[in-house]
Amino acid sequence: MLCVETRQYSLCKEVLRRLHNAGVLDGMVVAGSWCVLFYQAYFERKTFSPTIRTRDLDFAVPIPARFAKKADIGRILDGLGFVLDFRGEQGHMRFMHPELILEFLVPERGRGSNDAFDIPALGVNAQPLRYLDLLLTDTITLEFRGIPVRLPHPVRFALHKLIVAQRRDNADKAERDRDQAVLVLRAVVEAGDSATIRDVYASLPAKWRRMIDASLAEAGHADLIPGENGI
Amino acid sequence: MSIKGVMREELQNSERMKVRYEEELAALPRGSLVKRIIKGNEYYYLVYREDGRVRSVYKGKSSPEDIARYADAKQKRAEYRNQLSKVKKQIRFLKGALRGNEAI
Repeated sequence: MLCVETRQYSLCKEVLRRLHNAGVLDGMVVAGSWCVLFYQAYFERKTFSPTIRTRDLDFAVPIPARFAKKADIGRILDGLGFVLDFRGEQGHMRFMHPELILEFLVPERGRGSNDAFDIPALGVNAQPLRYLDLLLTDTITLEFRGIPVRLPHPVRFALHKLIVAQRRDNADKAERDRDQAVLVLRAVVEAGDSATIRDVYASLPAKWRRMIDASLAEAGHADLIPGENGI
Repeated sequence: MSIKGVMREELQNSERMKVRYEEELAALPRGSLVKRIIKGNEYYYLVYREDGRVRSVYKGKSSPEDIARYADAKQKRAEYRNQLSKVKKQIRFLKGALRGNEAI
């Protein structure tokens, strides 16, 4: 149970509560640095303290999107003070607020296109991203202030961060990705679940594994991927 | 971990947010719809400020849609002004911190 209460947490809780009440929260997976905060409940360790995170609260939506009900995200957020913004030439939608920025993501398909992907069931568009399937394949559900929130399995979250760190143009963001990945992988190891790291890592394409290895080497934590006999 | 990198990103976001709040405020219908009862009948006036003076324009018997539109605009204006004020504070703080004037 998280005990720090700030305006940002309160707003996050309210957004999640409204999405949950509208019946659409279980059709999406929370992605991005907020996951690290939610993982506190998963690891149940007081020493697991999330690193710095931005205001971005990302929601990954599987394709095809499956929602029990149709909803209008703009209406759901009505009265909370969000303002809609269209980012870049592709017009990726994001809902901005001084405390939070909400964005929707979908896995990139085929040869890859950065064009905004419409999600009619939510009345929004989403930004396609490579490797996002890694986060959507195996999810866990945790409670945040009594609201069930779907998250990527921590191991998948961490390995995804290590992969995308290799594709970043921005060195600060790459460093942040690596730091978050290391924090989560260390917690997984301390929780005695190194086997899951090994299994997920082994299931990935060789190119992805090389990217993970490179990121861990850069972070000075190559030891976090266990060998055949464990760490 | 580069805290300044995160702050630069947040500053960009806050500056964009400021522009969007200002655009949304500018797009809202000006003024507030005020009800006056004259000889038992309800009439509406659009009240707004112009050049430092309060203006009152007779609108007659406004439709429920018009009344709701102005009520919604009034609520949104207060909401957006509140958020805009927070965003401006964030921008001042972030710029100061990036210049090294604020403790990070």
